[in-house]
Amino acid sequence: MDIVFRAVFIFFVLYLLMRIIGRRELSSLEPFDLILLVVLGDAVQQGLTQDDYSLTGALLAIGTIAMLQLGVSYANFRFPRLRPLLDGEPIVVVRDGKPIERNLRRERVTLDDLTSAMRQQNIAHIGEVQWAVMETSGAISFIKKSGSS
Amino acid sequence: MVTCQAQDWNGLSPNPARMADIPDRIVLRRHLELRSWAFFRPIRYALLGLIGTFLVLGLFNVYGQNPQTITATSAKADLELYAPDRVRGGLLYEARFTITAHQKLNHVVLRLQSGWAESQQMNTIEPSPIAQTSRNGDLLFTLGAIAKGQKYTLYIEFQVNPTNVGRRSADVALYEGSERILTIERMLKVFP
Repeated sequence: MDIVFRAVFIFFVLYLLMRIIGRRELSSLEPFDLILLVVLGDAVQQGLTQDDYSLTGALLAIGTIAMLQLGVSYANFRFPRLRPLLDGEPIVVVRDGKPIERNLRRERVTLDDLTSAMRQQNIAHIGEVQWAVMETSGAISFIKKSGSS
Repeated sequence: MVTCQAQDWNGLSPNPARMADIPDRIVLRRHLELRSWAFFRPIRYALLGLIGTFLVLGLFNVYGQNPQTITATSAKADLELYAPDRVRGGLLYEARFTITAHQKLNHVVLRLQSGWAESQQMNTIEPSPIAQTSRNGDLLFTLGAIAKGQKYTLYIEFQVNPTNVGRRSADVALYEGSERILTIERMLKVFP
């Protein structure tokens, strides 16, 4: 039974951690981030199943996490007022070709990061961008100015 | 051209008048000026502070593992216990019991309260006691004779069962035959 409690505890701790470390860390998956992800998974597993090598234990752990994830996504869908808490809010980082320094700084996004994301969207100059919005996933979406090719 | 005046779905405040081409569901006051409780930084700082405090407490051994030395003294012998009093589930650790005889002891018995054995694996006991038995749930190790001025060290290697969470009384007593020479009172705290 305690494996279910451990899974619930770890789920909410991880959820909280992911929310407070910020979306920049979530969006960029550099090689080092990938290694960190594996290390994190290993550390979590130790605390979650501990010395339980049973199939039942594994099913309890993943079943609990799956149900919690379902519950969180349902709460996110059903209760709009919870969305800022559960998912966060998008942030405008460029408006009418001008970067919003305060918002970029808040999310620890440099101009280099921004222009790199622009290039990946085939946008060469920031002047072509009407709006750039950092989404809750950490990805930056760009809306070009009317008339920009 | 689409204007975004009517973005008050689900409680979102509308954008100012004459604001053209704003992406759907984006409210400038909220997503550009960040005027929303969701962007209230002190909450984030408080949570980060909480995590930091948890880590610093770990550095200061609040959650156990570092061994402590406790010594009890009497006219006949000293008993020194070197073991952690705070441990965590799954942890391997050593408890070292050192007896220093101030006079010849003929029949030394070490008594460990049941908290030492409760949901803990006892992997190794070195050197092996002459005899082991149980009295009222406590463990008794008969160690034999110790000459005056000699030291006897007993090593016991433990592993904590992950489900063994909470506080347990784990006293240690030293006997010469049936006479209790000294006692070390301690609590063992097991973190999840």
